[in-house]
Amino acid sequence: MKVLVTVKEVAEVGDDFAIEGTEIAESDLEYDLNEWDDYAIEAGVRLAEDGIADEVVALTIGPERSEETIRMALAKGADRAVRVWDDAIADSFLDVDTKVDLLEAVVDEEEPDLVLTGVQAADDAFGATGVALAERIGFEHAAVVNDLELDADAGVANVRRELEGGVEELTEVDVPAVLTVQTGLNEPRYASLRGIRQAQRKEIATKDLADVGLSPDDVEGALTVTSMYEPESESDAEIIEGDADEAAGRLAEVLREKGVEA
Amino acid sequence: MDFDLTDEQKQLREEVRRFADNEIRPIASEHDREESYPYEVVEKAAEMGLIAPHVPVEYGGVGYSAIENAIIIEELFAVDPGIGLCISGAGFGAEAIMEFGTEEQKEEVLPAVTSGESLLGSAISEPQAGSDVTSIATRAEKDGDEWVLNGSKMWITNGTVGDYFVVLCETDPEIEDRYSGYSQILVEADRDGFEAEKITGKMGVRASDTAEVYLDDVRVPEENLVGQRGMGFLQLMQFFDETRTAIAAQGVGIAKGATERALEYAQEREQFDRPISDFQAIKHKLAEMRTNTEAARWLTYCSAWSVDADPDRATALASMAKEFASRIAVEAADEAVQIHGGAGYVDDHDVERLYRDAKITQIYEGTTEIQKNIIARELLGDGIGV
Repeated sequence: MKVLVTVKEVAEVGDDFAIEGTEIAESDLEYDLNEWDDYAIEAGVRLAEDGIADEVVALTIGPERSEETIRMALAKGADRAVRVWDDAIADSFLDVDTKVDLLEAVVDEEEPDLVLTGVQAADDAFGATGVALAERIGFEHAAVVNDLELDADAGVANVRRELEGGVEELTEVDVPAVLTVQTGLNEPRYASLRGIRQAQRKEIATKDLADVGLSPDDVEGALTVTSMYEPESESDAEIIEGDADEAAGRLAEVLREKGVEA
Repeated sequence: MDFDLTDEQKQLREEVRRFADNEIRPIASEHDREESYPYEVVEKAAEMGLIAPHVPVEYGGVGYSAIENAIIIEELFAVDPGIGLCISGAGFGAEAIMEFGTEEQKEEVLPAVTSGESLLGSAISEPQAGSDVTSIATRAEKDGDEWVLNGSKMWITNGTVGDYFVVLCETDPEIEDRYSGYSQILVEADRDGFEAEKITGKMGVRASDTAEVYLDDVRVPEENLVGQRGMGFLQLMQFFDETRTAIAAQGVGIAKGATERALEYAQEREQFDRPISDFQAIKHKLAEMRTNTEAARWLTYCSAWSVDADPDRATALASMAKEFASRIAVEAADEAVQIHGGAGYVDDHDVERLYRDAKITQIYEGTTEIQKNIIARELLGDGIGV
């Protein structure tokens, strides 16, 4: 079985940052592996360690800088990686549909049995790429998966999905499938020192638009960013700390201040 | 000349930093206060491959050079020197086995250490023999096909938690040459007559286990001799360039950790209606701390590089790096407490812990004074001796 894990390098900001036009200033951004994708990588690597997956391929859409991130997936145990990028991609805002165009092209070439993605990306948080990809490539899918047992012989993934309102759904998904992975599915490992060493020699194949059979017109997304601003906070939240006695005392104080009487 | 780390080294630094932030930072104060050994985090570190990463791959290590070791140590010590020492010191003595041990010793000890199954220690100092190593009184006498060890060892890292110790002892007192007649012998902690008593009340690095070790007619097979009989002190001397570079990296880590904490606090703490980082007195402190850390780091990297690339210069460079980085660590921790003001004098903020931890780097693995003697000796071309 071949497992394809999509990973994304996400931009993160601290408390203080500047907005330049419709973007956050580059100097205020730090880049890291998307948290949800870390769980997806771990799931893929464990399938390989359990002898279920023969190969785990990491796939990303991102500029050269994102190789740092994808190499972490290789250090944790992915066998090789594919990175799709093109100057034309850099010029437009990547919406879900465009991402799916790019991912689909690689899926067609790699022919995986299972695609694992994070539920969402920490930066744009569409939360749609995985399921949209499943729809496009005609795979079964399950979203927000927080438990996974794969019966490779039967070709069935037994999954638990985390739904709204604390509801959990147990379901079976026929392979080939796309599963979007929720945090908590597993405990992602640290890349071992040996893994880091080996990762330097693993292949990261880079592909531009021509390589995946697309043209610059194909990646002109339907979405454009029209403005970027920091919402004003209308009220403050207070996190009450301390032991139960202290916390209860402070809570009573706040309630009394707000006019709640026994 | 290139001052950039390789992609692999950058990735290593990033992942070790993540490990230290997630696994060490939350428990550092607790282990410091309780003087307790952090078994769990040392196990996790072993899973990641952080224990004795310089051991060759065939014996369970990663085969890292002194530079990668320095990077790892710096990141661990920036978060917590106490637990950092537990991790970086879990394989103390491994280099003696790697370089001089028999194949059997390597196969028995090294994989057990790198996997975290066993802890190793190096027993050199004695109550009466600190900087003056050749005044040790621990004896090993041959009795049939066994060595019989008698004596006591002081300040032994991992003393009460260790499974194996490489013990320096005198085997041939009749040899008149000052540096010969000593041998390194591998002693298992479960041998009859081996006892260790934990030393409590250390000023800093309190998570790390330190003990006085008593050897009372401890019998080990003659195969436990590490390297050549009578050459123990000279064997030991060969690793000082590496081990002192490692202590320099500890200093760099502490200085970096102190600077990061001071920088964060100075931007948060407001007085006279502005963050104290707006005041020039504080700015200059932060600038000096940062500059000194950077200088210490590159001197340490240079020393680490020379261990493999230019051994003739390594002795002086290692002593310079160790002396300078440990001094910078103490100074940076001092300034970090100063910037925290009253808040830095209590243990709510961990600069107080760094302040206590920093001092040991000027003492162990050759005091500052010994390092200066070595630097001067190399400068004046006096040859061996202190």
